[in-house]
Amino acid sequence: MPSLTVSKGSTDKPAPTSAVCPFCALLCDDLALNQRPDASFTVARHGCRRAAAGYARAPLASEALIGGRSAPLDEAIGVAAKLLKRARQPLFGGLATDVDGIRACVNLAERCNAILDHVHGDALASMSRMLQGRGWYATTLSEVRNRADLVVVIDVDVSQRYENFKRRCLDARPAPGNAPGKGREVVFIGAGKRAPEALGADTTLSCRSENLVEVLLALLATLRGHRLAARRPAGSAASALADLAGKLREARYATFVFTPAALAEHREPAMAAIGDLVDELNRTTRAAMLALGGDDGGQSAVNTCAWLSGFPLRVGFGQTLQYEPQAFATRALLDGGAIDALLWIDAFGEQATPPPDAPLDRTVMLASSRPSVAAQCGVFIPVGTPGLDHFARLVRADSVVTLPLLQQRDSGLPSVAGVLTRILEKY
Amino acid sequence: MLTRLKGGRIYDPENGDDGEVRDLYLRNGRIVEAPADPREAKEVIDISGRVVMSGAIDIHTHIGGGKVNIGRMMLPEDHATDLVAANRHPHLGCGHAAPSTRTAGYRYAEMGYVACFEPAMLAGNARQAHMELADTPMVDKGAYVLLGNDDYLLRALAAKRDPEYLRDYVAWTLNASQALAIKVVNPGGINAFKFNQRKLDLDEKNAGYGITPRQILTALADSVRALGLAHPLHVHGCNLGVPGNVETTLDTIRGLEGLRAHLTHVQFHSYGTEGDQKFSSGAARIAEAVNAAPNVSLDVGQIMFGRTITESGDSMRQYAGSAFADPKKWVGMDIECEAGCGVVPFRYKDRNFVNALQWAIGLEMFLLVDDPWRIFLTTDHPNGAPFTSYPHLIRLLMDRSFRRDMLATINPEAQAATTLGAIDREYSLYEIAIMTRAAPARSLGLKGFGSLAPGARAHITVYKDQANREKMFAKPEYVFKDGQLIVRNGRVVEEVHGATHVVHPDYDTAIERDLDTYFDRYMTVRKDNLRVTDDEVRDDGRGELVVHPTKRST
Repeated sequence: MPSLTVSKGSTDKPAPTSAVCPFCALLCDDLALNQRPDASFTVARHGCRRAAAGYARAPLASEALIGGRSAPLDEAIGVAAKLLKRARQPLFGGLATDVDGIRACVNLAERCNAILDHVHGDALASMSRMLQGRGWYATTLSEVRNRADLVVVIDVDVSQRYENFKRRCLDARPAPGNAPGKGREVVFIGAGKRAPEALGADTTLSCRSENLVEVLLALLATLRGHRLAARRPAGSAASALADLAGKLREARYATFVFTPAALAEHREPAMAAIGDLVDELNRTTRAAMLALGGDDGGQSAVNTCAWLSGFPLRVGFGQTLQYEPQAFATRALLDGGAIDALLWIDAFGEQATPPPDAPLDRTVMLASSRPSVAAQCGVFIPVGTPGLDHFARLVRADSVVTLPLLQQRDSGLPSVAGVLTRILEKY
Repeated sequence: MLTRLKGGRIYDPENGDDGEVRDLYLRNGRIVEAPADPREAKEVIDISGRVVMSGAIDIHTHIGGGKVNIGRMMLPEDHATDLVAANRHPHLGCGHAAPSTRTAGYRYAEMGYVACFEPAMLAGNARQAHMELADTPMVDKGAYVLLGNDDYLLRALAAKRDPEYLRDYVAWTLNASQALAIKVVNPGGINAFKFNQRKLDLDEKNAGYGITPRQILTALADSVRALGLAHPLHVHGCNLGVPGNVETTLDTIRGLEGLRAHLTHVQFHSYGTEGDQKFSSGAARIAEAVNAAPNVSLDVGQIMFGRTITESGDSMRQYAGSAFADPKKWVGMDIECEAGCGVVPFRYKDRNFVNALQWAIGLEMFLLVDDPWRIFLTTDHPNGAPFTSYPHLIRLLMDRSFRRDMLATINPEAQAATTLGAIDREYSLYEIAIMTRAAPARSLGLKGFGSLAPGARAHITVYKDQANREKMFAKPEYVFKDGQLIVRNGRVVEEVHGATHVVHPDYDTAIERDLDTYFDRYMTVRKDNLRVTDDEVRDDGRGELVVHPTKRST
């Protein structure tokens, strides 16, 4: 399937007055860029650390490599096709690409009987399990900005991971009409001082990560009117929990913000507790959750794979589809020695490299930056960054808005979709 | 090349053919006049005795967009028992109630459908909806964009902006989202739920804006009329599923004061409160009102017994329905100051009084509305049942004794509470052709669809005439799309990609300045980034964009 390209001189495209940033799932679309002589960019307006680092990378000036040897793209594509064709069970991993890249992955996976997983597959799979196990009541960025009068941020340093979330959703003035009467209060639940300070939290409920689930469950019990036996459940004052429960009850629209990837080993019980808190509040007032995640095209990969196959990643293609959310994790497949070839994609150049124990000599790597393992890969093919080197579409963290990312420079680098389509033709 | 389909019995209500035996000629994707010498046809397909209709059109089916995709991801158990084998279709897929995009396209084609319309696209999610529709092969498609719960419109109504301003906003939204029509879901109610209102009657004020559903309905129906859209305002009314909502629906019809509207999945809006269980059929009263109101059309949203998933923009009513989720999981969302959604798996049980009566109410509606040009065959896929149950539904409509047999198997109290057993009407093939072909084509303004006259697009379905109408309609012998044979004996033989149907009404661009300011100040996406371009819809040449005329564009 060919990728959608920007036709030069078309009047159909909106003018690129501001750029959409592909370097995290917030997809901020109000950045201003200045191009440097090496075709990299500085971010003149509304940047963040991740945007600055991503845009500062010049287009990859590398030829394709076959076993570490420079080779023309055509030849590399031919070898990649052969490598995948010889494989009994390939894994398409990383999958850091745009919607068209995933479309092409699915088409190629059908031919190779491949399995699909994403570099952030564990966190994405936790979200899928929550969806398939209990569901949730969720909200989106513009709703938080305009409706949330109480935002509870759970154990994540938003300033590190999603710096612009504060500017765009917490600091911004809500639209008149749905303005929360008494302004917006931000509560931080978690460890340390830096995160709540950077967030501008009004209140902090201090708790260590390992106690997070217990604190959330104690908050839930308090909300439900249960008396807590412990005076300091999981190290938090019962009175602080009661205060927060009271605020939640009184809030018109409370939002719980968290980052699945940051919740680490407590992720699934913590997310279930957040789901329960939201459900409890919705019995009498309004509340919702917002999961910030799906970077490196993760949200696009999950959604595109779901509409094309019915399953949200960790799906295997063969005589029929096979969905194995645990067994088809990249780690589990490598540990079990189930994989004899790897197609690894890192189009955002965020150094999402294959795991060290991957079969590198039987790996086809498509990336927009050159990692140290490039020369060890069976085939390495440089590709463009979505939204810099070619037009792209990406799904935002809230899984609702899909942004168009216009091409910003003419590097001549191919898109993932373009390369995979050519591999499929040679297959 | 000229192709001759020889000897079929033609059911073409648009041109008055009710089973006349006549040859059809196809050339370059169109139906053409019979040549002077039939031997000019290089290809002759003998379809003597076969029933021939135009390609079918589904006017209301949830096949693409955010909530549909949530449904897919939520239900691996729905897919596990319905995996499509590699040799069955051109691409893999799966799903009973929540099929993958490709599987949905193949199955529609295999039932003789050539066009399907997603009825609940959000402007904020339009790009994804169009990508999913682009990945739905075989059929032409289009979408209706949701308005009436967006803060922008409610603010404009509260500020008493003049109707022309609202029309400009409606026209901009249609252009930006590449939609064919306007849909309103629980007018103002989804927005009210964000302010913690749990119900909103037709004349009840939204707490945020002081605007009533009636005001929203009237404003939008007026805009649709003024812009001259072919399809009237597509209305999912207030109080879906609430016993007693028959009064709301009758009020809604009266409140239109002659403005055109399409009332969708009206079965879910036709409930009375009589009887021991305070749940009764309002179908007869609705049908009577619809029969007397030529400005109103409807689709039924028939339920079928079994497992499915309900996917709706109506977060307020889906929240209420979440108590009945089966299995026990569900998703709700508040979305971008524009809309909401609720995704709730459900099992309709024939032994359950309410479910059984819902089934009967839908069938009563089909049989009591006189004019097949104003009632369309839907299950509100997948909310009442998956679209694959259409052949069964057609048999229920065409075969009185089968219907009575089925009625005898459902909950006995429901049997006693419905008049269904006393209704003798059986739909004819001609009437089925109206309600699944000619009428939806007219309602949507799809030129060249729903007709077998020379000049029409060569969308043709050929069925073996069987007494068992379910078997007959499940597996057409031939399906032609734009003159190309795409299905033979109920199996896809050629993968094709259909066009996307849209309208582009003109508007005063002053509205864009206001919208730019609003989006830049308050939203988290810039206005121009919502806009889905023509190129994107064409998907690099894989699809075609068909722009239909309106009063404000040609």
